[in-house]
Amino acid sequence: MNMLSEKDLKGVRVNAEPGVSPVRIDGHMTVPALFRARCLENGAEVAHREKDLGIWQAYSWTDYLTRARHIGMGLRALGLQRGDVISILSEDNKEWMYFDMAAQCMGAISSGVYTTDSAAQLAYLVNDSQTKFLIVENEEQLDKYLEVADQMPSLLKVIILDPEGLHAFDNQNCMLLDELYDLGRQHDDEAVFNAEIDKTGPQDVCVLIYTSGTTGQPKGVQLTQENITAGMEASLYGLPFQKRAEQLCFLPLCHILERIVSLYTPLVVSSTVNFAESPETVFDNLREISPHGFVAVPRVWEKVYSRVLVMAQESTALGRWAFGQAIKAGLARADCILEGKPVPGGVALRYRVWDFLVLANLRRMLGMDRITRGLTGAAPISPELLRWYHAIGVPLYEGFGMSETSGVATINLPDSNATGSVGQVNPGIQMRIAPDGEIQLKGLNIFKGYLNKPEKTAEAFTEDGWLRTGDVGRIDNQGFLTITGRIKDIIITAGGKNITPAEIESRLKFSHYISDAVIIGDRRKYLTCLIMIDQENVEKYAQDHKVPFSDFRSLCRAEPVLALIRREIEAVNKEFARVEQIKDFRLIDVLLTAEDEELTATMKLKRATVETRHKALIDAMY
Amino acid sequence: MSALLEVKNLETFYGPIMAIRGVSLEVHKGQVVTVLGANGAGKTTLLKTISGIMDPEKGQVLFEGEEIQGKEPHQVVRRGIVQVPEGREVFPLLTVEENLTLGAYTRSDRAEIERDREMVFSYFPILAERRLQEAGTLSGGQQQMLAIGRGLMLRPKIMLLDEPSLGLSPLLTQEIFAILRRLNQDEGVTMMLVEQNAAVALDLADQGYVMELGRIVMADSAEKLAQSEDIQSFYLGHANEGARGERRWKKRKTWR
Repeated sequence: MNMLSEKDLKGVRVNAEPGVSPVRIDGHMTVPALFRARCLENGAEVAHREKDLGIWQAYSWTDYLTRARHIGMGLRALGLQRGDVISILSEDNKEWMYFDMAAQCMGAISSGVYTTDSAAQLAYLVNDSQTKFLIVENEEQLDKYLEVADQMPSLLKVIILDPEGLHAFDNQNCMLLDELYDLGRQHDDEAVFNAEIDKTGPQDVCVLIYTSGTTGQPKGVQLTQENITAGMEASLYGLPFQKRAEQLCFLPLCHILERIVSLYTPLVVSSTVNFAESPETVFDNLREISPHGFVAVPRVWEKVYSRVLVMAQESTALGRWAFGQAIKAGLARADCILEGKPVPGGVALRYRVWDFLVLANLRRMLGMDRITRGLTGAAPISPELLRWYHAIGVPLYEGFGMSETSGVATINLPDSNATGSVGQVNPGIQMRIAPDGEIQLKGLNIFKGYLNKPEKTAEAFTEDGWLRTGDVGRIDNQGFLTITGRIKDIIITAGGKNITPAEIESRLKFSHYISDAVIIGDRRKYLTCLIMIDQENVEKYAQDHKVPFSDFRSLCRAEPVLALIRREIEAVNKEFARVEQIKDFRLIDVLLTAEDEELTATMKLKRATVETRHKALIDAMY
Repeated sequence: MSALLEVKNLETFYGPIMAIRGVSLEVHKGQVVTVLGANGAGKTTLLKTISGIMDPEKGQVLFEGEEIQGKEPHQVVRRGIVQVPEGREVFPLLTVEENLTLGAYTRSDRAEIERDREMVFSYFPILAERRLQEAGTLSGGQQQMLAIGRGLMLRPKIMLLDEPSLGLSPLLTQEIFAILRRLNQDEGVTMMLVEQNAAVALDLADQGYVMELGRIVMADSAEKLAQSEDIQSFYLGHANEGARGERRWKKRKTWR
């Protein structure tokens, strides 16, 4: 092996030059080797916390290793072999981590299933990946398995994490987690366990991520040990975590973003992961934990923002005035910082005063008083919102990544930031724009291929081996990437004009009243659009403006609400050329949830599904 | 046709707690409208705000086109809105007859009052039998009947009924709802009915609203509501037992 020179980055020894094979993190080339080393090194320190009956309980790195080993050895005793797939159907919790790490250590592959997936989708994923072991969170998820149990011949065993309500349940294909632990203890053998870890090489596939599949069946993205370690190396450069930092895990671990941030990054920097109790309690948990860094999707950042505005509006006249002044002072400072200009003394002083009086309290109330840096990704975010967070003293930066790039590919950093762009490409990754405008990437983090779909894999790469992201964008002369849309979504109007709908859609989404939008117009005379309104903010608008409504449907039909959305659309229309004007729109009058097929797991509208399901609405506009 | 009672964007607080978070609904003359919802959804607060016992922070209550929100209860009663309170609150030490007479305290037409009392007795014959008995000694079902009868004595334009089935046996509940139906059909009494017993309420009502956490999450004709999957599983108790035959969890509500 050639000896590459190494350097120290945030207390971690990595290759001096990023993106070079073999990727080493403190000398380890695979996730399980690094995992074992970190657990031994950190011993009794806190690795993660989870609430039990409302009280935060801490678990040490030693617990982490022991549990992963017992699970790994238990699964092995049940017939798990290297290269087998285990599928985890659960909300985020510590067991999710244990099973993932157990799979890593035993040379198996872990795949996550969204808890919102239907039984039929579960069967598809299990069969496509030939899953041997299915891990289900509780009786609700267990029932999904039971519904399609006879359609999944590859399964050896189903493991149930939470036994509540299942005392009388007896099925020879299923076992409880405690039984698996017992089995693991009986077959515990550190030498065998360590040997399995050492057998794993950088080229072994270790993670399977199913992409949401806005068209057709989901595709399984195969990531190797090296893909993940390269992703971790990139995270070390780009993410705000270091040793003993607190972080909050709440986005689905099935998604690459949370997987890299909460499962693998802590192995690099030895940070502590706190599991949110449930998706509904995230904001309370945020306050309790007060993490050092917070990585979330734009929807979450928008929610926090709306909450603060509502709180401010409902406070006293003095409170409202002080809040307004503080935001003004914050924005003045944020504008200087975001444009890379020095902050004048007067502006800085004014900010200090208002920070002391208002903003520091606000941050404490939100649980954002320790955040050194916030990150947003997975969907476009409004530049105004970024500015606002900078103003209240929470520096928020945008990044870009996808399952196929093992997480973050480009990111804005405090000293190299261009608001509105998704940042410069991460160290160690190469980026180019193809003649047709497509963003293409190359690096050790780029995935190996889609499982069972060689033709899709071939489509995903150029002849010279670059990943075709499917996104269109431009790079400015300082290397900042701006994404304008998806290639497949390009609309050709009846007049023959090419339009990237995402550009218009993301402008619409920046409105507080519009949660998502789909532009229609392919081979049509003009553009129209379907809108999903933001329930909370539109309801508030209706309340404030005395617009009577009863349920969601009547809200969507209220004339003043339609007028509000029309105004929002007209404001966006002003920014675009004549052929890109939205001539008409309709609101989707059902309140969609993650279980609906129209939405991806990250609550984005799926163009193809929306177009077929709401065909009548669309046709009515032409 | 404009509504008899119209509630627009109502917000009502208990101290700092917002119990009603923007409710709008309509009741037309001759209709029975039901408001369903779990404990703490804000149903009773809604009725109390309409009848003037509580004042809203925001929003309007229109009765026959006139704003009545924030008016005193006695003024509201004079306009013809009567509330039959939850938990059959009758005057226990007064007789059945005295209770009924109190229901007509805003009226002075003695002959008419006498006729209405007989009308009440014809609907609730058991009350006629016990006309001189103290109300506190009546059974729960009889007290509920008395509370409804007392409300009728006002000759209300609309009756606000707060959980008339509360604490009653299924048989008595059916009996009382059958009488409510006759009152609506024969006497043309308009009703707004707050209930947890969705099956009987939807059976009686023309129109229904579902409230949750101070908001309306669903509004439709009673017939359509009764067919909704969410209503069936959360209010009507139709269980999908699932593959194991003993499912405890419920799928998330979507209210469509």
